[in-house]
Amino acid sequence: MKAPDLLKMVTRTINFGRTRAVLTSLGITIGIAAVALLTSIGEGVRSYVMDEFSQFGARIIAINPGKNVTGGMGGILSTVRPLSLQDAEALRQAPYVEYVVPVVQGAGAIEYKQRTRNVDIFGVSADMPAAWRFAVAQGRFLPRNNDARSSPYAVIGHKVKQELFQGESPLGQLIRIGGMRFRVIGVIEPKGDMLGFDLDDTAYIPADLALDLFNREGLMEVDVIFSPATDSTYMSALIKKMLIQRHGREDFTLITQDQMLTSLNSILSVLTLAVGLLGSISLLVGGVGILTTMTTSVRERTSEIGLLRALGATRAQVLSLFLAEAVTLSTIGGVCGLLLMGVVTALAFLFAPEFPIRPHVPFLLIALLLSSLIGLIAGVVPALQASRLNPIDALRTE
Amino acid sequence: MRAMDLARFNFQVMVGHRFRTIMLMIALIIGVAAVNLLTGLGEGARLFVLGEFSFLGKNTLIIMPGKKETTGGMPPITGEAPRDLTLEDMRALTRLSAINRTAPLIAGMAELSYQSRLRESFVVGTTHDFFAIRKLSLLQGRALPPGDPTFADAVCVLGQTLKRELFGPEPALGQWVRAGDRRFRVIGILEGKGVAMGLNFDEAMLIPVASAQMLFNQEGLFRVFAEVRSERELTPTRNAILSIIKERHDGEEDITLITQDALLSSFDEILRTLTLAVGGIAGISLAVAGVLIMNVMLISVSQRTAEIGLLKALGASAATVRRLFLSEALLLAIIGSLIGLLISESLLAAGRLLYNQIPLGSPVWVKVAAVGVAIVTALLFAYLPARKAAALAPVEALTHKQGP
Amino acid sequence: MSVANRSSSSPSQLKSAEPVVALHEINRHFQLGEQTVKALDAVSLELLAGDYVSVMGPSGSGKSTLLNILGLLDRPDAGAYLLNGAPTQDLSEEKRARLRQQNIGFVFQSYHLIPRMSARENIELPLILAGTAPKERARMVSEMLERLGLTARASHLPNQLSGGQRQRVAIGRAIIMKPKLLLADEPTGNLDTQSGADVVTLLEELNTQGITLVVVTHDVELGKRARRQLRMVDGRIQSDLRQSDVSD
Repeated sequence: MKAPDLLKMVTRTINFGRTRAVLTSLGITIGIAAVALLTSIGEGVRSYVMDEFSQFGARIIAINPGKNVTGGMGGILSTVRPLSLQDAEALRQAPYVEYVVPVVQGAGAIEYKQRTRNVDIFGVSADMPAAWRFAVAQGRFLPRNNDARSSPYAVIGHKVKQELFQGESPLGQLIRIGGMRFRVIGVIEPKGDMLGFDLDDTAYIPADLALDLFNREGLMEVDVIFSPATDSTYMSALIKKMLIQRHGREDFTLITQDQMLTSLNSILSVLTLAVGLLGSISLLVGGVGILTTMTTSVRERTSEIGLLRALGATRAQVLSLFLAEAVTLSTIGGVCGLLLMGVVTALAFLFAPEFPIRPHVPFLLIALLLSSLIGLIAGVVPALQASRLNPIDALRTE
Repeated sequence: MRAMDLARFNFQVMVGHRFRTIMLMIALIIGVAAVNLLTGLGEGARLFVLGEFSFLGKNTLIIMPGKKETTGGMPPITGEAPRDLTLEDMRALTRLSAINRTAPLIAGMAELSYQSRLRESFVVGTTHDFFAIRKLSLLQGRALPPGDPTFADAVCVLGQTLKRELFGPEPALGQWVRAGDRRFRVIGILEGKGVAMGLNFDEAMLIPVASAQMLFNQEGLFRVFAEVRSERELTPTRNAILSIIKERHDGEEDITLITQDALLSSFDEILRTLTLAVGGIAGISLAVAGVLIMNVMLISVSQRTAEIGLLKALGASAATVRRLFLSEALLLAIIGSLIGLLISESLLAAGRLLYNQIPLGSPVWVKVAAVGVAIVTALLFAYLPARKAAALAPVEALTHKQGP
Repeated sequence: MSVANRSSSSPSQLKSAEPVVALHEINRHFQLGEQTVKALDAVSLELLAGDYVSVMGPSGSGKSTLLNILGLLDRPDAGAYLLNGAPTQDLSEEKRARLRQQNIGFVFQSYHLIPRMSARENIELPLILAGTAPKERARMVSEMLERLGLTARASHLPNQLSGGQRQRVAIGRAIIMKPKLLLADEPTGNLDTQSGADVVTLLEELNTQGITLVVVTHDVELGKRARRQLRMVDGRIQSDLRQSDVSD
């Protein structure tokens, strides 16, 4: 039998029992749509999170005080061997270093006239906007100072400006933070949330003043941004060497952003895969459906099979006829599933554009392949049953 | 027709068409088992993770220096604020009668050494009462001594892992450990907690809070814990603490009070949503099972056309015929989902035996919902075939195909 | 063989002057492709309580359609059908089902037994459908099995029974609700001579006990046993003969 003839016979049969074929395929359709949609959402979440984390750029190395960091809290904890502003300053002189941001974080009340607002306070350096890719919306950022004590300037987030100044221009105004007076010289553009910290409800002050304010000895973190002319491996080694020289031992921890992004990426990819696997439980049930209807089909068409055999069809031909039917049914289901998923994606795009859904072509192709494979597997048993029928017995059943 | 007769009739049909009955059951079993199993896993993971992070009783308040007005964000976890929270502040709280006990916390990293062994480790400055609040138990020796918290006694309690790393199999009690430029005599060893997330006391050294203040050259406390006598008194006590601190801090309310439950609530929320999502995804397979039921039922109707005709000739009404098919689906769904429940419950039970620290198991409402959804789906998808059967004209049905 | 035009003098027939069944100008058409087939063409007929009627005629003459109409399985396109004096043609399908259940028994050429049910259960089926209490049911079915001589075969499935036994089960099922009208479509068609004769004896015995019996058959020998013989051709009743006496 030639392939086109086989196909014609199969489509004829499917067309004849149309309701049954539609329902059999529908099971696979739902399963494939679920798998495709879920992996697309997984992929969407992955790229959303990656964007969120890489907004600071990939060429960041974060240095935290203390070795053997417990629970990621290394910077927050006190330490007998702090990371100092002098360390940060020294790193600024290193080759390939573009920006260095020392970080001290705490919370405090900002007072302006009669108004008070309790917010996050970041002690940073002049490099911060460039290093973290923040833009100043109004005024300017903290000035660079050379080893002298910083001037008491502050830059505030968008929300602090709204809450405290309520329409007035904050530039040049004096505010009070924990008993120290600062002059507002700039406002940061709205940035939104980042891991539970509202970056707009924040004030930025020079790191040395922040250390004084919080009565703290050491920095919580130092971020080093290096030039694209080198890579993170080289830079890590360099920073490590420099700091060991300064401290006499390795009492700090380095986290490179690309390392973190890579591990985050692989975690999220595994999650996407896992979600896809969850969706394929439905495909399994759809496979059970194909097995059931195909087996019923073989039983009902026993005499037809007998006739085919009497007309000279070989076992292989009967086998391939039924296998082709199963594969066709499941592949049709798969294609419809992808179409369904396309419709859902389009709707999501129209009505909820921020919903993270990103169809990933390789996953879709795998899903399609999977649907054909399910048909093949589910079709094997009934097709074998059909091919093993004895033509005389088969004909006699009518 | 009586319910019992209906059930017996259905049962005969199901036994008669064993293959398709089994296949439909398998579909339903997979669906229900997947829902129950996955929610059970998710729920177990949620409780396990929460348990790992909840060391404190429900009636313990955590006091942090600093305050934020940002809504919905994180509390000021860094513990840095312009004004320190001091031991005097803490002592002032003990005069509240609703407070059972209080404990301060200073946490830091320091390099510890014993003889030639060096170890960078987590050092906690606290008091005697911390052991009770944090539910730490001792393997050997005793806890930090009670008494005046401002007295910087040179003693320490070691976590089990830390003790092993510094001392190996040798006895540690009575030995002196060096931390920074100070020396501490080991007076106790903590009992290991096994698996632990968050701050792991297995690798920590506990010293009197005043010693920690000196070691880290810092006066301010990182946290203060206050155990309230009962959960009922939580809110009034919270207000009382706020007003005491405000009074002491020149009229400024610059601390944050939080319970551990509140701290973990958003985390809890995320895990709960994830569990539900996973269960829901598994639930899609029930819809597929529904489609299969419909398909098989339609096939069944066309194969049993003659039988339906006969029943109608014998006086079965359309309603009776419809009920015959619907009740078959119902019976199938009930048996299938119960088996699915049984299988998933045994798997979860086996999981609990293997990993006894993870409380695997789905909540009752999920089990009810899984079975309920299976039954409703089965009835919904069986409705069309049942209606088709009921609508068959008796004469056409009888002449359609000859029975035996 | 004497032929009479007016009704004869069977004892049971005298009990009721009212006809059990009255058909008036019944039409039933079927569309076969382009062609309209008149299966029943203005058929009028009255059956009295206790009648023994055979319907004969060539294939396609409308015998089976007549039987289906009589059995309330099929609806006429036009005309009136009175069962026990009450019109049925406009009743809902549900009411017709109820009438079938209470008044009419069917016996088919191919038995139509449910293969997964035992002889006892097949006979019990109408009682089950009617919602009769299980105790009552068990008694009635046991009596019926006894009467049919099938007590020993009660728990056998249809495929474990001989053709004659199967048809006796089917008859048991048809009369368990004590119907007034028993419709048999080629009841001996699938049976050997001996079993066929047994089945006919049973049916006639039921008739003497008062049931109105209609037998549709190709078998002339069987047809001639009836006291009233209808012959159908092209959807019409060509002849309606009554014989005064029945001889064995």
